[in-house]
Order: sequence, then structure tokens, then C-alpha cells
Amino acid sequence: MLEAKNISVFYGRHRAVESASVEIRQNEIVVMLGANGAGKSTFLRAIGGLTPAMKGASVVMDGVNITHRPAHEVVESGIALVPEDRGIFADLTVMENLQLGAHPKRARAHEKENLDRILTLFPRLAERRKQAVRTMSGGERQMVAIGRAMMSAPSILMLDEPSLGLSPLLCSELFRSLTAVKETGMSIFLVEQNAKQSLAIADRGYLLDNGHITGSDTAEALAKDETVQKAYLGAG
Amino acid sequence: MEIIIIGLLLGGTYALMAMGLQLQYGVARIMNLANGEVLVAAAFGTFWFFSATQVSPFVALIGIVPLAFVVNWAIYRFLMLPLVKRAKNQGQLEVDSILATFGISFIFIGILLAVFGGDYLSYSYMASPVHLLGETYGLNRIAAFLGSAVLCVGLYVWLNRTRAGLTLRAVAVNPSAASLVSINVVNASALAFALGGAVTAAGGMMLSMFLTFDASLGVIFTLKALVIVIMGGVSDIRGAILAAFILGLTETVVAILVDPGLTLAAAYVLFLIILLVRPQGLFGRRTS
Repeated sequence: MLEAKNISVFYGRHRAVESASVEIRQNEIVVMLGANGAGKSTFLRAIGGLTPAMKGASVVMDGVNITHRPAHEVVESGIALVPEDRGIFADLTVMENLQLGAHPKRARAHEKENLDRILTLFPRLAERRKQAVRTMSGGERQMVAIGRAMMSAPSILMLDEPSLGLSPLLCSELFRSLTAVKETGMSIFLVEQNAKQSLAIADRGYLLDNGHITGSDTAEALAKDETVQKAYLGAG
Repeated sequence: MEIIIIGLLLGGTYALMAMGLQLQYGVARIMNLANGEVLVAAAFGTFWFFSATQVSPFVALIGIVPLAFVVNWAIYRFLMLPLVKRAKNQGQLEVDSILATFGISFIFIGILLAVFGGDYLSYSYMASPVHLLGETYGLNRIAAFLGSAVLCVGLYVWLNRTRAGLTLRAVAVNPSAASLVSINVVNASALAFALGGAVTAAGGMMLSMFLTFDASLGVIFTLKALVIVIMGGVSDIRGAILAAFILGLTETVVAILVDPGLTLAAAYVLFLIILLVRPQGLFGRRTS
């Protein structure tokens, strides 16, 4: 479904990501694990069109070449990105955020159904429709961010460290709701430092180290892998 | 009482002109110092139209508003957009756009001088007295206030109740998130800048009904609009409307009770106080 090949991003002369490639298939959860500063966010931003990738990159979504397209066009191809800062409109209400999520043309036809689905998934948001997002807690903001992204009726939801800043309890709740999102038929591509919980819900995983993909396997195999345990699961 | 009513009538008209600058600064993030020249150009256009046809100046809006829209769209598209693309951060864009639009304001002044000459111009329309609560007021001031109020309310409702308005507010709040929901931020900014210019031009038409203009007056209105926008808070239209009334009242109080020559000075004293005490504006929040 999504094939991103040979993605390289340089900030000035600093290399953030070098020839990284991933593939996301229909209805699966894929996690990219990596330490702080490994280039995970940059990689997602490059696919999402927020950060320009170098020549030679190729991003193909459902057979459509979206390489080097700006962010507002990438969304129309069915990829919704929740960036690290959540990408929400803090001064606007929950409903306004969700309405804006349905701004892409592809989202308009099923706006009502999508809204109902999201409000069922996150009943909290239904209670707080008229509240300004700025006044909400970190966990609630993350729900708004994911809801906003789901409103664009994406095929793939890309999440940049969704568990960042959440309490352990909210974290578990978040990962449970991601499984529920997958059950609606979407694929999820998330980058995380929280290896344990993300591998538990994922189907497959990639390892990103210092801008390079250093490994990929099924989530089960990765969870058992010695180097992964050492690097990300605090074992050994 | 008389002072309050005159102040409120003036404030309502100021609110309209300030909403123009606010759209340009809040959404398109261009601090447009040529804003006042657009206002004066619209006032001159109205003068010319009314003198030539003797038809109500309100009819002139039909030509002035679309023209201002197109001219401002072109200014954004061809003169501001290269600056936006080049700027590495908001601070740099502000410096560049202030310098560029300051230059543009002189081009406007030059054109106005060439076309209309350097004289003070005014015309007499609806100059009949109206009795209100025991005092008399010019009908033209009341008409300008009502016209402005209708446009202000219309704009407010459009921004807050329609999808297109929501799009512009989204860009004002978070341009990067706006691009993630498939809003073309460049187009939305161009629309906001053009619309802002059109709203300011409508304000110029309203003000022309009771003020006397010359080509150099634009800068005074730019600064008044600036005072209102900063006082009201960049992101909140309600703040700007309240600030416009405060400015209108202050100017009227000072002009009638102290000395007409001190009105601008009073406006700036007010501005400085706000800047020192509440830099985020009356309704603004500190950015986190």
C-alpha cells in the first residue's frame, strides 16, 4: 500500500536519515523503534511532506507517486500524520479540530460516519465538543490529534511518538485504542521509544539507528531479539 | 453622553478597518504598513465616484471592494510570497514584510498624488443632522457606523460559522497543522491578505463620508489599525472590536475635552500602556 524507498534527509550538512525504506501493507500496525535523535521524526515528516527529502527518494501510495509532494497533497493520497507536537489547533474547540480534519476532499463524503466512529472510540471527545483544546490534558489532546487525523479518512495513520508525555495508565489506554483503530480497517505506522507496548500491538517492526534502518522483522521476533531487548527493552 | 456616542460611532468604523489589518497580520502573517494607503485610496475612489455620479457612496463598494481584493491578492502573490518562502522564521518575515510594505505605501502615495493631486478632499453626503437623546449628530456618521457594523458582523459570522472561515482561523492558529489537514496554506494566506485589503477598503469608503482626506493620511490610519490590533490581541477579532471602541472613545474624549491636536498622542499613550502592561492584548494569551 505505502512504499517509501531510499529516503534521505539532510539538515544542512547534518545527515538525519540516510536511504531508509519501509513498506506498510493493508490493515497492519508497523512500528519503527529508535533512540532519541535516531531520525524517526524526520523520516515520518519526510513521508508526510513536511520536510523535504533528497533526490533519489520515492514514495508511492496505492500506486500513486507522491514523492516530494507538499503536505497538503500527501493527505489527499490517504496518509494522515500526527506529528510530535500533535498538529492540533489549540485555540479551537474539539469539534472545530475534527471538522478541520475532514477538510481533505477525500474525507467529505463520509464525514458524518467518521465523526460518529471517532466519538464512539473516544467518548471523552463527545463530552467536550465545545471545549478549547488548549485547556485539555495531554491524553485528551492526543485523542483530539488522532481523531483529527482519522477524520481525513486515511488508509494509513502515521503517529510520531504518541505515548510521549502520557502517564503509564494513559499509555495503555492509548495503545488499546490504536488496536481499535486498526479494527476499523486502517493501517498504522508509528515511531516509538516505548518498545514494549508498541511491539505488543504491532504486526511488524523496523529498527532505526543513527539514520539507518538496521533491522526489520515481525513484532514477535523483535520482542524476543537480543539486541532489541538490550537496546529498547531494558533487559540484559 | 454626546462624547460617548460620537466615540462609539467612530469606534465602529475603526473596527472595520482594523479587521482588515488583523486578517492580514493574523492569518497571512504580514504586518502590512501599506494598509492605510489602501484605505485612503478607497476614500479617494469613493470621492471620485460620488462627485462624478452623485449616486450613494455605498454603491461605490461594488467596485472598490473587488478591486482592493484583486490588488491585495497580487501584492501578496508577487511581492510578499517570495519573502514568506525565504524567511527562516517569523521574526525575519516580520522585518522583511514591514520594510517591503513600508516601501509599497510610498508607491501608493505617489500614485494617489499623481492621480488626485495633493489637495484635501471631502464631499457632502447625508450631512443632515439627526437628533438622538437630546443631541444632534451627522447622519453620515451614523450611516458609516451602521454600514461598518453590518460588515463587521458579517465577517465575524463568516469566520466563525462557515467552513471557509474555519480554514482561515486554522491557518492563524497553526499553519503547519493546517497543511496536515490538506489546507493549502499559501492560497489561504493569499485569500486572507486579499480579503483584509478589501475589508480595509470598505472601511475607507465608510470613513470618507465624514472625514477629509489627502494622499498622505494613510500612515495615520495604518498606525490606528496597528494600535487596535495590538491592543485587541492579534488572534481575536472580539478583542479588536473592543479595542476599536476604546480608541474611538479615547480620541473623542481628548479631542472634545482637551485639545483636538492631541488625539493621536492620546492614542499612542494608550498603546504604550497596553504594550507595557498587557503585551498579549486585551483578550490575547501568552503563547506557550
